[in-house]
Amino acid sequence: MLYRTASQFKTSYHADHALFPVRQDAWLLGIILIFAYAIIPMTASEFTFNALLIPVLIYALAALGLNILTGYAGQLSLGTGAFMGVGAYACFKIITAFPDLNIVVAIALSGFFSAAVGVAFGLPSLRIKGFYLAITTLAAQFFLVWLFEKWGWLYNYSSSGAIQVPNIEMFGIIVAGPNASSVTQYYFVLAVVTAVTWLAINITRGRIGRIWKSVRDMDIAAELVGINLMKAKLSAFAISSYIVGVAGALFVFLWRGAAEPNLFDIPLSFRVLFIAIIGGLGSILGNYLGAILIVALPVVLGTLPGMLGIPIQSATVEHLNVMIVGATIILFLIVEPHGLARFWQIIREKLIMWPFPH
Amino acid sequence: MEFLNSILIKPFQDMVAAPDFLLQVLWEGLVAGVLYALIALGFVLIYKSSRIFNFAQGIMVVFAALTLVGLHEKGVPALLAVPLTLVVMFLLAVAIERVVLRPLVNQPDIILFMATIGITLFLVGFGELIFGGENKVMITEQLGIPTGSLTFEPFGGFVSIEQKDLTAVIGAVVLVAVLLVFLNKSKMGRAIRALGDDHQAALSVGISLSTIWILVWFIAGIIALATGIVWGARAGVSFALEVIAYKALPVLMLGGLESVLGAIIGGLAIGILEKLFEIYWGQPLMGGNTETWFAFVFALIVLLFRPQGLFGERIIERV
Amino acid sequence: MKRLMKTALLATTIAAGAAFAGAAYAQDSVLLPNLSYRTGPFAATGTPLMNGQRDYMTMLNERDGGANGVILNYQECETGYNTEKGVECYEKTKAEGAIVTQPWSTGITLQVLPKSNVDSMPILAPGYGFSAMQDGKVFKWAFNPPASYWDGASMILQNISDGNLDNLKGKKIALLHLDHPFGKEPIPLLETLAKKHGFTLLPIPVGLKEMQNQSAQWLQIRRERPDFVVMWGWGAMNAGAITEAVKTKYPMNQFVGIWWSGLDADLKLVGDAGKGYRTLSWSYPNNESKVMKDIKQLVVDAGKSMLNTSTGEFDWVFYQRGVLISAMLAEGVKEAQKHFNTKVVDREQLRWGLENLDFSEAKIKELGLDGMIPPFKTTCGNHTGHSGAWMLEWDGTKFVKASDVLQADRAEIDALVAEKAKEYADANQPWPMNDECKL
Repeated sequence: MLYRTASQFKTSYHADHALFPVRQDAWLLGIILIFAYAIIPMTASEFTFNALLIPVLIYALAALGLNILTGYAGQLSLGTGAFMGVGAYACFKIITAFPDLNIVVAIALSGFFSAAVGVAFGLPSLRIKGFYLAITTLAAQFFLVWLFEKWGWLYNYSSSGAIQVPNIEMFGIIVAGPNASSVTQYYFVLAVVTAVTWLAINITRGRIGRIWKSVRDMDIAAELVGINLMKAKLSAFAISSYIVGVAGALFVFLWRGAAEPNLFDIPLSFRVLFIAIIGGLGSILGNYLGAILIVALPVVLGTLPGMLGIPIQSATVEHLNVMIVGATIILFLIVEPHGLARFWQIIREKLIMWPFPH
Repeated sequence: MEFLNSILIKPFQDMVAAPDFLLQVLWEGLVAGVLYALIALGFVLIYKSSRIFNFAQGIMVVFAALTLVGLHEKGVPALLAVPLTLVVMFLLAVAIERVVLRPLVNQPDIILFMATIGITLFLVGFGELIFGGENKVMITEQLGIPTGSLTFEPFGGFVSIEQKDLTAVIGAVVLVAVLLVFLNKSKMGRAIRALGDDHQAALSVGISLSTIWILVWFIAGIIALATGIVWGARAGVSFALEVIAYKALPVLMLGGLESVLGAIIGGLAIGILEKLFEIYWGQPLMGGNTETWFAFVFALIVLLFRPQGLFGERIIERV
Repeated sequence: MKRLMKTALLATTIAAGAAFAGAAYAQDSVLLPNLSYRTGPFAATGTPLMNGQRDYMTMLNERDGGANGVILNYQECETGYNTEKGVECYEKTKAEGAIVTQPWSTGITLQVLPKSNVDSMPILAPGYGFSAMQDGKVFKWAFNPPASYWDGASMILQNISDGNLDNLKGKKIALLHLDHPFGKEPIPLLETLAKKHGFTLLPIPVGLKEMQNQSAQWLQIRRERPDFVVMWGWGAMNAGAITEAVKTKYPMNQFVGIWWSGLDADLKLVGDAGKGYRTLSWSYPNNESKVMKDIKQLVVDAGKSMLNTSTGEFDWVFYQRGVLISAMLAEGVKEAQKHFNTKVVDREQLRWGLENLDFSEAKIKELGLDGMIPPFKTTCGNHTGHSGAWMLEWDGTKFVKASDVLQADRAEIDALVAEKAKEYADANQPWPMNDECKL
C-alpha cells in the first residue's frame, strides 16, 4: 500500500531519468536525512558519536570510494588503507603549512594527492587483470605505509613519527582537534558525506558510470564498442582514490585526532573492503548498510556483556567478537553474496507488490 | 655520480669485500624463501583445484603450530601430538568444505576470497580463545629436530648455519618431492589436477568434488603444520606469525597462480632477493625495513612484463 | 530483515536498561579501567602485566575491602594494542564513569593526551607513554611514574659506560627498536648524548611485520659490529631479537634492553644461551614481601586470579611489575581520599592524588612492597618522580639484580623535557597550562 507505484506515470524521458522515479523513495530518503540531521544528534551520547556515528559515516565514505573502483569499474583494490593515509598526510601537510586555510578547502585539496597516487598505481591495471591486479594495490599498500614511516618530512620530523591534529577553527567554531565537540564533528562529517554521496550517485548513473560498468562486465567487449579503456580505468582510479583520500583526511582530522603510520596498514584496507562487499558491490546504499554492520557490530558486541551484567573477561569478549565478525562475514556471503543492498531491493519489490502476492 | 656509485657499484664492492657475509645473507634469504614457498604451495594447491584464493593459509600455519604446542602442553607426547594435530587439521578441512565452500560454489572469485578472510578472522578469535595469545615455544627438541648450529669458516670469515634451518630446508625439499609425486603419479593427484583444469569435465568422469576439496584443504593443512613447525622453531609460536601470509601473495603472483613449480621458484627468488636488497641497498640507502614492500614491488614489475606470472597459464581472453 | 531489526531494537533497550541498573549499585566504588591487551601480537608482554594489575586490586578488595571502604572496581577493556580500539575503549570507559585511564600503548597515549585536558581525565602511564609528560605544568593530566623512557636511556648508557659517558667516545651503539612511536621515544635523547659524548648512534628499526623475523636487522648488526646493542622492544619482538642474537653469536653481555624487554618467557626461549643479557627495570620481584604473600593467599590460591600457574608466572618480573602499577594507582586514590576527606574520589581529586604520590622507603615498607621498587615522589611539576632503576641480568633461569639503583642524568633530560613539552604545547594551541603549580 505504502509503496504503491501505480498512478505515478512519466510523460517525458527527462522525468523517467530523474533521481527518484518513484515518489516513495524520495520520501524515505527525506525521513532518513531528517533523522541523520536532526533527531540523532539530539539524542546521541558522546560515546555514540565517537564510537558509532562518526566512524560509520567515515567508513561508509571510504567504502563508497572503493566501491566505485571495485563495484562499478571492476578493478580489485587491496590498498584502500594506504590511499586513506595519503589523504590524511596530505591534509596534515597542508594544514601545518597554511594554518589559516579553511579546513574544507584543505580536505578537498588533499583528495587530489591521493587521486594522483591512485592513478599512478592504477596504470598497471591496463596490463594486469583479476587477482594479479591485487598485487599492484598491495604494492601501494605496503610501500606507502613504509614511506609514511620513513619520510620524516611528512610528519614534520616529530620524534614519535605520529601526526597530531591541532585545534582548527571554521567561522569561529572549533571543528577539529581535541577541543572540538563531537556534535560539531558529526555535522561536519555528515555534510561532507552527504555532498560526496550526492556527487557519486550522479557520476555513477551518468555517462562515466555506464562506461565503468561496461568495462567491469567485459573490458574487451567495451573496447570493441569504442570505449577508451585507459581513460575509463584511470578515471575510476582517480575518482575512487579522491573519495578515499577525503575519507582518510576526515578519518584522522574529524575523528581520530592523531595517527601513526601503521594505522593505515592492511587491516584497514580489509575492513573497508568488507564493508563494500557485505554492503553490496555496485551499490551506493550498500556502503552505508555495510558500514553500520561492520563498524557497529563489534562495538555493540563489546558493550553488551557489560551492560547485561554477564561476568566475562574483556579479552574473551574480544576473542568472541573477532570470531563472530568472521562468522558473520561468511554468513552474509552465503546468504546474500550481492550484499545488504540486495536485501533492501528485495524488500522494496515486495513492498511495491504488497498486499497482493503477484 | 656519487649517487649512481652508491646504487650501482658500492653494493657489489661490499659483496666482494666480505664474501662470508654475503654467503650468510644468501643462506638467510634461502631459508626465508623456503618458508615463503611452503606457504605459497598451500595457496597454489587450493587455487588449482577450486579457484579459491585462500587467504586463510597464513592463519592455518599459526593454528596448526598452536594446536601442536597446545596439545604438548596438555601432556600429550610430542610424537603423538603430530598425528593428533593432523586429525585436527583434517576436521578443519571438513568443516571448511561443509560450512563455507559448499554453499559458495560458483560464486565470483572475490566473494570466495572474502570468505577465506572471514575464515581467517574466525580462526584468529577461536585460536586465541583456546590457546591464549602469549608467545609459545615450539617443541623443537621433543620432535627430534637438532638445535645446534654449524659454523663454517670460508674466506677467513664465518658462516653460521642453524641446524634447525638446515632441517627445515631438507624437510621442505622432501615434502615438495612427495607432493609432486603424489600429484603426478597417484590417482587422487591426477583427480586434483583434472579438477583444476575443468570442473564439469572432471565431475562428469566421476570425480567427487567434495572429497577432492577436503583432500586438498587437508594437504594444505599438512603443509601448514610443516611450515608452522619450521617457522615456530625460529621465532616462537604466536599470532604475529600470521603476517607471513601476506608475503605469500607476491610469491604466488610472481610464480603464477596455478604453478607448483612457480610457487617454489617464486618463493626462493623473493626470499633471496629481498634479503640482498635490504642488506645492500635498503639499509645503507633507504633507512631499512624494505622487506615489507620489496616482494610486492618486485612482483609488480615482473607482472608488467608477464601478466600471468613466470609460470602461470597464459591468460586467453575471448569475447 | 524485519525480525532482525526488532531484535536489534530489543537488545538496545535491554542494554540501556542494564546500564542504568549498573549505575545504581556503583555507589561506593571507583571505576579504575585498564585498556588491556591480552590479544594480538603484543599479548605476550601484556598478559602477565594485566594479571598483576588485576590481582593487586582484587587483593585490596579482599583484604581491606578496597581503599578505606571504597571498592576499587578494576575493569579491563581489551584493545589488542590497537589504537582504534584504544580510543573506543577510552570513550566507553569515560562514559561509564571512569576516573582514570591507563592507555598502555604510546600510540593510544598520544591520542588520548589532548583529550584528557578537555575531559579532565587523568592518564596513568607507568613507565611508558611520552617522556615529556614529566613536565606537569604542561601535561596537567598525564602521569608516567616512576621513570620515563629518557630516564631509562640515560641509565642504560651510564651502566654500559661504567658510570662515565665519556668512556663511550668512539664507540658504536645500535638502538634496535620497534618502528612505532614507542620505539622512537629514546631517539631524541640518545642523539643529543651521542653528539655530546662522541659516540655513534645507529638506530635499527624493526617493523611491526618483522618482529618475528629479524634476520635482516641482525645481519646488519653483524656487519656494523656495534659495541653495544640497546633494545626498545615490546611483545613478540623481544623473543625474536633474543633468539636472533643467540644465532648471530652476538655477545650477550653487550646486549641491553629497556624494562619492557625483560619478559621471563622471552628469555626462557633461549635458556642458557641468553646468559648475560641485561634489562633495566624499576621493579624487582620479591615473593617474600607482604603484598605478594597476600596476593598468593587471597587471590591466587583462592582461584581468583587469571594467572598461568604452570609457567611460574607468579615469579616473573612483569607480573610483579603489574602489581606495582596497581599499587601506585591505589595509593593515588588513597592520597586523594585523605586530602579531600572524602570516600568516593572524582577525576580532579585523583589527579591531585597522583600528583602527590610519595613512595618513600618507609611507605614502601608500610605497603608491604619491600625491595620491589626504588623510592620516588611525584609533585605537580614532576609527574614522573624518577625512581631510578636496577640493571637485571639473566642467569639462565631467572633475572637477578646486577647493579645498585641507577639514577638518570637529570640535567640533560630536564632540558630536553622542557623543550619537547613546549614544542608539544605550541603545536596544539590553545593548550591549557597548569599555572597553579609553582614548583
